[in-house]
Amino acid sequence: MGEFFQALLRHSFLQHALLAGLLVSLSCGVVGTYVVTRRITYLAGGIAHCVLGGMGVARYMQVVHGWAFLDPLLGAVVAALGAAFIIGWINIHAKERIDTVISAFWGMGMATGILFISKTPGYGEDMMAYLFGNILLVTRGDLLVIAGLDLFIMATALLFHKQFVAVCFDEEFARLRGIHARFFYFLMLALTALTVVLLVSIVGIVMVIVLLTLPAAIAGRFCLRMGSTMVLAAGICALLTTTGLALSYKPDLPAGATIIVLTGVVYLTTTLLKRK
Amino acid sequence: MTPHPIQIEDLDFSYGAVHVLEKASLAIEEKEFVCMVGPNGGGKTTLLKLMLGLLEPQAGTVSIFGKAPMAGRKRIGYLPQHANLDARFPVTALDVVLMGRLGKTRGIGPYSRADRAAAHDMLGRVGLGPLAKRPLAALSGGQRQRVLIARALVSEPRLLLLDEPTASLDDYVERELYDLLLELNKELTVVVVTHDIGFVSSYVDKVVCVNRKVRIHPTSEIDENIIHDMYGEHVHMVRHDREHGHG
Repeated sequence: MGEFFQALLRHSFLQHALLAGLLVSLSCGVVGTYVVTRRITYLAGGIAHCVLGGMGVARYMQVVHGWAFLDPLLGAVVAALGAAFIIGWINIHAKERIDTVISAFWGMGMATGILFISKTPGYGEDMMAYLFGNILLVTRGDLLVIAGLDLFIMATALLFHKQFVAVCFDEEFARLRGIHARFFYFLMLALTALTVVLLVSIVGIVMVIVLLTLPAAIAGRFCLRMGSTMVLAAGICALLTTTGLALSYKPDLPAGATIIVLTGVVYLTTTLLKRK
Repeated sequence: MTPHPIQIEDLDFSYGAVHVLEKASLAIEEKEFVCMVGPNGGGKTTLLKLMLGLLEPQAGTVSIFGKAPMAGRKRIGYLPQHANLDARFPVTALDVVLMGRLGKTRGIGPYSRADRAAAHDMLGRVGLGPLAKRPLAALSGGQRQRVLIARALVSEPRLLLLDEPTASLDDYVERELYDLLLELNKELTVVVVTHDIGFVSSYVDKVVCVNRKVRIHPTSEIDENIIHDMYGEHVHMVRHDREHGHG
């Protein structure tokens, strides 16, 4: 751990990584609490896996067709928002079982990504970074994008907190009180999609769902209100990403996987302790 | 003449091929205390949802204070049937009651001081003043029901619709709840859906029987006709229960 903090002073890539973890934790705490209380974890997982499709297509266009502007991060944002909107729309309008619909998108998103990445020269590294994250590759530009998305997510959640809580708690009642419940449902899915994209840069697509939901679930054991749950969840998320990053440095472990294992252990431990 | 709180004419509603309501008509007047009874699947909850504009009728009209349900429902305080709420949701009693201020309060930012004052007030009226900061999960079934009633009342409705408010409560709490409703009825119109006709006669002005068709009875008429409307062929069993309850 000590070596990590010494290295932190020397290496800007570590500073970027640390800062990325802290910034992402803010959105993670807020949106994770919505996801957990509204029970849309599986939906968030579906969105996360659709992100691979977006990143794969974007990277392919960049490398093969020279569309330099089409950053994989941009592809991820478009795919996440698109998936959130479509799954949400089907959930409301089609008389389909929602988990089946999500599974379809989950798999199609992954498959589309794999098809495009396999046709992109030098795809191996990209694929690993997308799937399992690489917090050490976060650039200054990435940080700006992360900070921007963070700001948008936090501001939206802050301004409409009471509507989001009401829609999570009892959507029908919120509608009867004149709240445009459907609008806020979609807005919540959009915030979830953006948070998923932020988290993908830290821990990768496969493990997003752990970092999105477990800090909020851990915080939920100690907090009695939505607001305090969000603050504590953000704190827990920041602590876990920082600790995971530090632990992974010396033995040269993948940071994302370290963070996830740590998060899982803390979650299971608090579960057991609180059961007594 | 001011429009009735509820005016329903020739309402038809079906879920697919299943007819739930046929030619239902109903008028409820200001400050009436009305009880809505009928068998399971008879259409009581459907009728409430039509009043609230949550469902659209295939034929006929619903008007709430002279307006279409979507416009009139702001004046309705609604208690859903055993609300399928997550009891572990991280909210306090006060948080839940505050949700009743949505639509009345500002659109952006937190609830106002006035909202909080109104919510505290209402919790006091339902006898839960000291429990405002208590999490929902730590309240008993009866207390939770009172919180939801406070939520329905805090929007200052002129019509209160309660769907089986006593379904999960024991007799003592049920009696308290009806006393509260009677008190509230001095200021507003109250419609209670219930299975339990035991309490009906002592409280209400009008009994509405919903079983595909809608029939209205003044309370003085509570007799075999109502029981028959309500339960159809099970009439003997019901009469037996009733004799027990009031015998």
